Amino acid sequence: CKKGKWPLSSPVLRREKFFIFVFSGSCLAFVYGMVCLYVCMQIFSTVGSQKSKEVCLSYIQDAMLRKQWKRAAEFLTFYIESLEKDFSTEYMGPSEVIWRIGAEILCHRFHNNMKEFSSFIEQMKTLGVKRYLKVSVCLEHAFHLLCNGQIDEAYQNLSLAESWRFGEQTAIQDKEMKLIQAYRGLLDYYSWSKQKNILLEHDLSVEQEMHGCFRKAAMNLKEIIKIPGVWDLFVKCYVDLLEFYGDYSEAREVLNEYAYNSKFPANPNAHVYLYQFLKRHGESKKSLLSALKILHDIVPSHELMIDFHIMLQKSKKRKKRRLGLEVIFAVLDYAGWKENVKAWSCLARQVKQIKHLDWIKQEWDPRRDWWPAFHFSRYSAKRNWQENESLSYEKALVAGILLGKGCKAQVKRFRILKKFLNKHNPVYLRLSGLSDSSVQP
Amino acid sequence: SLPAGSWVPSVTPQDILYRGILRDSCTSQPLPVLPTQLSHFFVDHPEDAFGSLGKLLHQNFYLGDSKLRVSVHSGLPPCSGCPRKNLVPRLRWFSHLARDWLFEVPLGLLADCVHEDLLLQWASLLFDDSPTGGALAWLPPKDVGARTGRLVYPGGQAMNHLYFQDVVLEELPCARGSPAQFELNGRIRQVAAARADGEDFVGVRSDYHCGVWRVPGRTGAAPTPLQVIRTSVPASCLTVSPHLPGELAVCTQSGAVYLWSVETGLQRLRHDPQTMFFRDHSPWRWSDFTAHPRVLSCADRTGLQCLDTRVSPGGCHFDLFKVGEEAGCQQGERVVLPMYLGRAYPSQHLVTTQFSVYVLDERLPLVPVLKWAHMMKAPPLFAHLTPGGPGRSHKVLLGASRTQELLLLQYRGEKRGALGVLWGRVSSVPTSQPPCCRDRLPPPPRPRSVLMSPLLLPTGLAAALQEDGPRESLLIFQLSEAGDVFCQKLTHQAAAQPPAPTPGDKAPSPAAALRYRRWLKAFSKVCGQPPRHTRPPTFGQKRLFTRKELEEPSAPSALQGQARRWLRQAMRDGGCLQRWDPPPSALPEPPEPAEDPDPLSARLTASWCGDWDGWWEGRMSSSLAQRQRALRERRRRQKRARGRRSLSASFTSSLTYQSELSELSDPDTAPPPRREASPPLGTSPPAAATPPSPEEALLSSQSLRSRGIPKERRKTLRDYLAVWADGPPEPPELPGSQASQLCIPSSQSQLSSASQPRRKRPRMGF
Repeated sequence: CKKGKWPLSSPVLRREKFFIFVFSGSCLAFVYGMVCLYVCMQIFSTVGSQKSKEVCLSYIQDAMLRKQWKRAAEFLTFYIESLEKDFSTEYMGPSEVIWRIGAEILCHRFHNNMKEFSSFIEQMKTLGVKRYLKVSVCLEHAFHLLCNGQIDEAYQNLSLAESWRFGEQTAIQDKEMKLIQAYRGLLDYYSWSKQKNILLEHDLSVEQEMHGCFRKAAMNLKEIIKIPGVWDLFVKCYVDLLEFYGDYSEAREVLNEYAYNSKFPANPNAHVYLYQFLKRHGESKKSLLSALKILHDIVPSHELMIDFHIMLQKSKKRKKRRLGLEVIFAVLDYAGWKENVKAWSCLARQVKQIKHLDWIKQEWDPRRDWWPAFHFSRYSAKRNWQENESLSYEKALVAGILLGKGCKAQVKRFRILKKFLNKHNPVYLRLSGLSDSSVQP
Repeated sequence: SLPAGSWVPSVTPQDILYRGILRDSCTSQPLPVLPTQLSHFFVDHPEDAFGSLGKLLHQNFYLGDSKLRVSVHSGLPPCSGCPRKNLVPRLRWFSHLARDWLFEVPLGLLADCVHEDLLLQWASLLFDDSPTGGALAWLPPKDVGARTGRLVYPGGQAMNHLYFQDVVLEELPCARGSPAQFELNGRIRQVAAARADGEDFVGVRSDYHCGVWRVPGRTGAAPTPLQVIRTSVPASCLTVSPHLPGELAVCTQSGAVYLWSVETGLQRLRHDPQTMFFRDHSPWRWSDFTAHPRVLSCADRTGLQCLDTRVSPGGCHFDLFKVGEEAGCQQGERVVLPMYLGRAYPSQHLVTTQFSVYVLDERLPLVPVLKWAHMMKAPPLFAHLTPGGPGRSHKVLLGASRTQELLLLQYRGEKRGALGVLWGRVSSVPTSQPPCCRDRLPPPPRPRSVLMSPLLLPTGLAAALQEDGPRESLLIFQLSEAGDVFCQKLTHQAAAQPPAPTPGDKAPSPAAALRYRRWLKAFSKVCGQPPRHTRPPTFGQKRLFTRKELEEPSAPSALQGQARRWLRQAMRDGGCLQRWDPPPSALPEPPEPAEDPDPLSARLTASWCGDWDGWWEGRMSSSLAQRQRALRERRRRQKRARGRRSLSASFTSSLTYQSELSELSDPDTAPPPRREASPPLGTSPPAAATPPSPEEALLSSQSLRSRGIPKERRKTLRDYLAVWADGPPEPPELPGSQASQLCIPSSQSQLSSASQPRRKRPRMGF
């Protein structure tokens, strides 16, 4: 336990010892006291400054919670000063703390005064703290400017940040620089699309300027897309640029790379963009289906699955129609689709056709133990009936066919539903031979 | 389990680290020889020798119902006043029993065991993960607009009673009726609740038992216990399915994950004592539900995985979150508490670590949608989601146990939970004196020190949203370690509007007029009687602006129209509308030309006559000529004085120069008492425009010499004066003391070094 003893023993105890020795009067004790004093000073200067910083932070927090912004700002100044004197290195940079606290105080005290904010940013840059949070500070400031409608200032800010070099972490800085450039490209894209709208109103004077914007935006966006990552926003903008100038092959290449490169994280959006691109350019049904098939494998609950199902149903091939049934069942497995009328009507139509009872049975078997409780409980029947009648009809139809008699007991209380179900009774009778085993007790 | 009343105080860091110190401080008599003391140690201090082992083993001993008679051994007299002496009598009895045979246990083995136990205790002191998830649950009202919800919390001396208390949400929540109560077989660690099919299911976890209760939808209906399971290893997690009624997920510290259905029993999904992504010693496991009712998420300290229950154990899974580079994690960052955010967005999960909060989408695994440093001092052990309605933000409450921190995180995403940028904003909630809601009467206000006491450390967190029309307030319930439930109300306030600019008031409002009149009355009273020879002051508000005057002019009257016509006519003709015959006395007399005009009146006269330019030119040339003459004269005098200069004079030179400078700078005015900083900051001394003065002659070299200015400085001075005399009037270089005053403090000069004058180095004595 001796190891653990040292950091926990408080400096206060040491100070007491020191005083006892000093006042005992003997000369030797005085010398010892001086040594103790020196040790104390050392401890106080390290522990004390740490402590004082913590205390200062807690004061800031307290003032902020009481909405005393002025007091909080004063404490923050003390905090920054104490940091400047301190040369110890901490990983979790206090600069982030300062940045967040300062932004919060400014936001409340000066009601989003942009001038105050800018000067604070400048201070953040010159703050002598080890690790400067360039990207977050710079981007957050740019977003703040954008939120206040100062697009030009934001753009200027980003270009300024590109010229800023700090510290030694060049590899990381390189990536961060690309990110900042990409956001600048995004702003270029924004002004490009504004000018595009002007151009489309037959004002040809902006064409030159627009082209300049395109070049800048394309250059910056292209760079970031090469690095593995999730760049949905940038990819979308870049593809839009390329499409406007008719460079379809390049756009397709970018999208294919983004969707199929294994270095990139598995991103369902990449496949969605590819599908939308293919659809826009009237590609063959086969390629559309293959794009959606991959999306189905990654995210079976995607909104496009309804489209996928409808496309598959129109197909003449047995295999595809089988897949269509699988898709619609898989969609309804998810909690987010529980009350989706479209999905239920798709399934109801499928089940009504009953061309392949064995397919339905195969899909139903693994779901037999939990779908009744998940979809067809008495409570949900009641609530669906109150909230959405058409959904109730669709579900009742599916339930009537899949559950058989068990379902009838559930909808006993709703006369109209019962009537509706009776109307479709022939369907149930035809299936009942098959699904008798699935009747719930 | 422990019978009630046998509460053994838990260990604190001081117990482990300061034991020796305490022992020292309470030993008052002189110490015996060391070997003797050591030989008596086991006998005299049995609780120290066997205390921890006794605590470990005492559960396995049945001491019988009859009272134990312990003969107090009389060795060394026991130390008096030792604070721990009477605390653990049961342990001391045990040591009394065990000391006969405990010697036979090999010391190495014993030491290993004790060491291991100490390590465990130390780890749990640093971070105790057993209350993860919190032991408080709020069951919201069944119907929209209803106000009666239910709180589920543990109580009793050993925290082994489960209470279901109806609570009515009014201005402050108040308990209604007496709570339904269940006695359990162990200390309750966690209470989890979820609503499926309109019924609430409450899962309760203690170390070796887990139970599930159903709370029917009707208000006032009694909760019914459904099932209890027993685990051989302490369970670390229990979550209730929001999709299917009566389904729960259970994890044990041995690394097993079970899907527990009330109808079909337990299904083991995984059993792996190792952590998932890299080696971590913690046996903590967690599991929660996902958007798919058959897929469970499974977490340990290194990350999250999703397990499909439909396939065989260890079959189909994918990684949802990995502590590491991809999520931008820090060194030593570990998962502390995952939570499924299904009530806000069906596919999103919250993962908290010691440093950050991550929001993950299971459709895009491994890449967090949002990362946000929460900056809490202790890792958050409790989390509660309050989904917001349409257009409202979702509120996530995070709570830490040891530091009593509470954090409210609001976030909002795109519609239908699409992948998109989320917006985070956080405000912390102070743990001020909360009114107690379990007691009927609010307790007397407690001092803060009491609030910080360990018995009030929170072990559970829940929140209820209360909506009164547009006003929205959040009620936060917190369970303390002693079993009290506290409540805190956060009311949403619209952002304070900046004061609207007052409309341009043409006519003063009656209230303002009244106030003005009152002020006038008071003012005239204070002023007292007006002097006789003037009329009494008539500060009438009416006179200043009558209402009529301030009104918009109505249609011009005939007279006005005529006047305007005349005016226009006169303007067209360039004539005058009416002859103005001023009284002869009204024309100001031209001022008497003074014999010796002072420069100001001379300038004024010149400018009055319109010849200001000429005056300026003349003045410039004359002053230049005078200055040059004076300089020449001074040089001559300096030369003459050079011979009889003494060394000692050089010491006073700077002072003399200083006085000369101020004489030069404004010779007209009487020089102020000689101080160092005579010219005001920021203004240049009126250099070129000085009129001639007899003292100018002093600038000559002779006079300089006579004043004792040393030769080497005389040159500098002359150059300086030459520049000053020839060049345009520019601010002279100030000597050190003045220059340093002009300097901006360094912190400011850092900010805008370009625009501010540069700091100059003070020169010693010029």
